Amino acid sequence: MTGATRSPRAGVADPAGETGGSGLAARQAALVAALVAGGPLPAGFDAQRVGAAAAALRRKRAGEVARAWPLLAADLGTGFRPRFATWAEGRPSAGSFADGFAYARFLRDSGELPPLGAAELAGREAAWAFDGVSPPRRRSRPDQLLHTLALRARRVLVHKWITRGK
Amino acid sequence: MTLTGVGIGWRPEIAGFVADLPGLRFCEVVAESLPLGGPVPASLAELRERDVAVVPHGVRLSLGGAEPVDPHRIQHLAGAAALVGAPMVSEHVAFVRAGGVEAGHLLPVPRSREALAALTANVRRTQAELDVPLALEPIATLFDWPDDEFTEADFLTELLDATGALLLLDIANVYANARNRGEEPTALLDRLPLERVAYVHVAGGSEQGGLYHDTHTDPVPPAVLELVTALCERRRPPALMLERDGAYPPAADLARELDAIAVAAGYPVVTA
Repeated sequence: MTGATRSPRAGVADPAGETGGSGLAARQAALVAALVAGGPLPAGFDAQRVGAAAAALRRKRAGEVARAWPLLAADLGTGFRPRFATWAEGRPSAGSFADGFAYARFLRDSGELPPLGAAELAGREAAWAFDGVSPPRRRSRPDQLLHTLALRARRVLVHKWITRGK
Repeated sequence: MTLTGVGIGWRPEIAGFVADLPGLRFCEVVAESLPLGGPVPASLAELRERDVAVVPHGVRLSLGGAEPVDPHRIQHLAGAAALVGAPMVSEHVAFVRAGGVEAGHLLPVPRSREALAALTANVRRTQAELDVPLALEPIATLFDWPDDEFTEADFLTELLDATGALLLLDIANVYANARNRGEEPTALLDRLPLERVAYVHVAGGSEQGGLYHDTHTDPVPPAVLELVTALCERRRPPALMLERDGAYPPAADLARELDAIAVAAGYPVVTA
């Protein structure tokens, strides 16, 4: 599998060390790391089959993120799933909402975030605090002005998108 | 109370379709989607008022994990069963996380003595908190562990014998695994304890890159329906249900799939 050449990212438990105690626990951790965290393929497994399973997992994740980030997914159209799946390679899921959050920021930072996705991200940046590591949490005192402006921008953009080409 | 006839996996996206099935006697709901303490989604509550049985189907307990199953997840499953007055609950012969990392899907356990012991302990921990029977579903997998000590049939039989659990047989998983392993799917049916089957899952899939993927987002292939008939020739299960998890087709297509399952199994259609 392609992920096998990557080094595991920080925050992923060392499958052979930390999780020890039971051979089964360590072996299951190593398999999960290979499937979703860019870990090496454990000995004896069929690389092509495990790679196919890893790709299927990323496609499933893409579908879940599309439900949690509908405007971002709609704006990227058919490109959303393959592009998200490529980004997700070697990155374990933090849940579909957090995954979409991180992916939208990645697109923003690389200048590839389309307008509806930008509006969706802006609204959520205003309402949620997300450090990229811990699960996003609702801001205790949301910045109402920023939030309102983001929603207004989204309405304008949605209108533009709906009436595009007319 | 046992399940009977043809049912369907209730999902919010097809709640209207499910509510309009006049002959429906049972459905399944993803256990983790039910809020502990309620309320039950309105359309599901209406089905309960019609005396349609609702079976919570857990997907995240990770019974096959080496670690003890999380007591909160067991409590949630038991709470879901109480919430909908379920006749039974079900979960998978699988693990979904390890080493603190979520896999995001059901993964196969090695068919080893160590894994069998871990599974048995987790199933017993779960059963201890449940007021209703637990049915266990073998999964579809694209790969196997390199050092399996048991055949799939022997592993499952040992597990069911050790725990007294029922079998939730997914006939599409049987088809997918056999096809991807180059085996005859009926060979597994001949060796499973079919008298333990509580109900059967039927789902669609598609071939991608030379492998059959059990997607639940594609139509049920004719070969899977033929396997339903082959199963019923051996021992007809009391109940079967369609499992669809996305890319929902028009109602007419779903109705045709339900009817096809009824015909393949020799049960009355539930769509009229």
